[in-house]
Amino acid sequence: MKTQSKIALVLFICNLTLVLIFGLGIYYFLNKYSFVDFYKRLETRAIITAKYNLEQDTLNAEAFKTIREQYFEKLEQERQYVFEVNATSTLSQAAKKYQLPLYFLKSVLKEGKTTSNDGNTFYAGIKYNLNNKLYLVVVTAENYYVSHHLRVLRNILFGGMFLIVLITIYLSIYFSKHIFDPIKQITDKVKQISTENIHLRLEEKDTNNNEISELTATFNDLLNRLETAFETQKNFISNASHELSTPLTSIIGEADVALIKERTVEDYQLAMQNILQQAERLDQITKSLVFLARTGYKGKKIIFEIVRTDEIIWEVKSLIDQLNHQNHIILDLNLLPEDEKRLKIKGNRQLLQLALANILNNACKHSHNKPVIVYLASSDNQVIIVIKDEGVGIPKEEIAYIYDPFFRASNTHLFEGYGIGLPLARNIIKLHEGQLTLTSEVNVGTTVQIKIPIARILKF
Amino acid sequence: MQKTILVPTDFCVASLNTLRLALEKNQQGLSLKVVLMYAELLEDSIAELLFYSPEKRINALKSNEFDEALSILKNRFENRIVEVSLELFHGYNHQAFNHFTDANGIDEIYIPKTYQFNLLSRGFNPMPIIKKSKLPIYELEWQYQGVCLENNQLHLIFNN
Repeated sequence: MKTQSKIALVLFICNLTLVLIFGLGIYYFLNKYSFVDFYKRLETRAIITAKYNLEQDTLNAEAFKTIREQYFEKLEQERQYVFEVNATSTLSQAAKKYQLPLYFLKSVLKEGKTTSNDGNTFYAGIKYNLNNKLYLVVVTAENYYVSHHLRVLRNILFGGMFLIVLITIYLSIYFSKHIFDPIKQITDKVKQISTENIHLRLEEKDTNNNEISELTATFNDLLNRLETAFETQKNFISNASHELSTPLTSIIGEADVALIKERTVEDYQLAMQNILQQAERLDQITKSLVFLARTGYKGKKIIFEIVRTDEIIWEVKSLIDQLNHQNHIILDLNLLPEDEKRLKIKGNRQLLQLALANILNNACKHSHNKPVIVYLASSDNQVIIVIKDEGVGIPKEEIAYIYDPFFRASNTHLFEGYGIGLPLARNIIKLHEGQLTLTSEVNVGTTVQIKIPIARILKF
Repeated sequence: MQKTILVPTDFCVASLNTLRLALEKNQQGLSLKVVLMYAELLEDSIAELLFYSPEKRINALKSNEFDEALSILKNRFENRIVEVSLELFHGYNHQAFNHFTDANGIDEIYIPKTYQFNLLSRGFNPMPIIKKSKLPIYELEWQYQGVCLENNQLHLIFNN
């Protein structure tokens, strides 16, 4: 069953139940009340009848008669019986004579006053003592109210209920349909979007912040991310093939030229040297690609151990010192925690070295060996490494793309590189459940901030 | 024995540099109890005052980065610091400030020389009031770079 019809059904059933309870309640209580009310009226009449029939010679009787005639309306089929009871046989005789139920007369005699009904005919009787004689006064009448008013009420209630049911059905169908209108629209729109036209977005109505607009916004966010992912994928392939083909083209070209005619040994050596250089470059690219691929997936098991971040930084510094003698890396350990346990993280030494070496290398390279400061500190649950350079920086518009493999900022063509280092570093930090954030200002410098959770070492 | 120092703050990471310098100055001697003070005028509306809670207000003002920077300093000076507490100051004049320092048992005050406080809504610069205090006041000079940004400001604690 569709949610729409489900909602309609639930709404309808709820309303129907409420209306039924309401209607039946009204009918039941009114019915009950009409009985009580009518009995009271009959009783009053019985008392008055007794008074003016049995105390005829007093002044009171006259007054009662006037009241009765002036103020009491005549009830339907109203009859009054007054008879004396002196022996047991008279009860059944009276019952036969006046066509009154015997059990009723008996209970009047027993209890003093009783009310009863036989179908639509209602009885009220009282026992009356006068001058040592026992009288029974019985008034019978038909309950006009029950027979007529209640029937009218019942008809009205049934009619009303039927009408309400109709209205409820209409309203529940109408509302359930229109509540789901926006969702249906979204579904229709999303169906149109495929990989071919992923640039399409849902229309965001800037009405109030309801669930639907939230849903739309979420969908659009998702689409944005998907689009970037697609774009990155596409760019990656074109960039990778370009990067790989450049050294290959030079190798082929160099070899081709060398083979056109016979050359001197020096020429061959030069050609071979060029080829070697390009092949090395190719090797480097493929190696870093392999690393990138390896760190990009979580599937492969990487061995994690407890390592000290300050040790890793020193190791990376000595590594870079070997490669690049002109580097100017300064380690600032002013905020090093007093407790060395706070520097220990769970990680893979080689991978962390690779990540930090990449970032530090970038920092040195893009700042023409100006000072690069590395800060190390730790908060309660994270080790924080900040690497600050005074390099060329990254243009604001391009910061979004710096983690794309092979992306190189527009101001970096003077520097050698393939654009794999940063994505690789980020992948590695992610593997360690850390965060890598980067802020940069063109011609002022770049700050890389790395946060890695501290290893939880049990204290004994 | 311990010494209680007061450092005004604006809940920006950069403002913690004052605390950092103060701690570096107090490497020797008594251990420290630090009171970070944020000056803010009290709300005028009675409804706000009814539900006034300093903890809630402080939690609303401080960022995760601030917490983190503070914990870096705590870890750095683990053996020096006994306790760091954040307090709101709602006074208008130096009398109120004297009460505040008395109540918190402040022994010394450290203030930045050049730092411009980044003031939110009802916050105000407590410098003029602090300077009238009779307690020993130390002005600390440090290079102030950048503005108090929403995010990514953690590295500001490393300046100098």
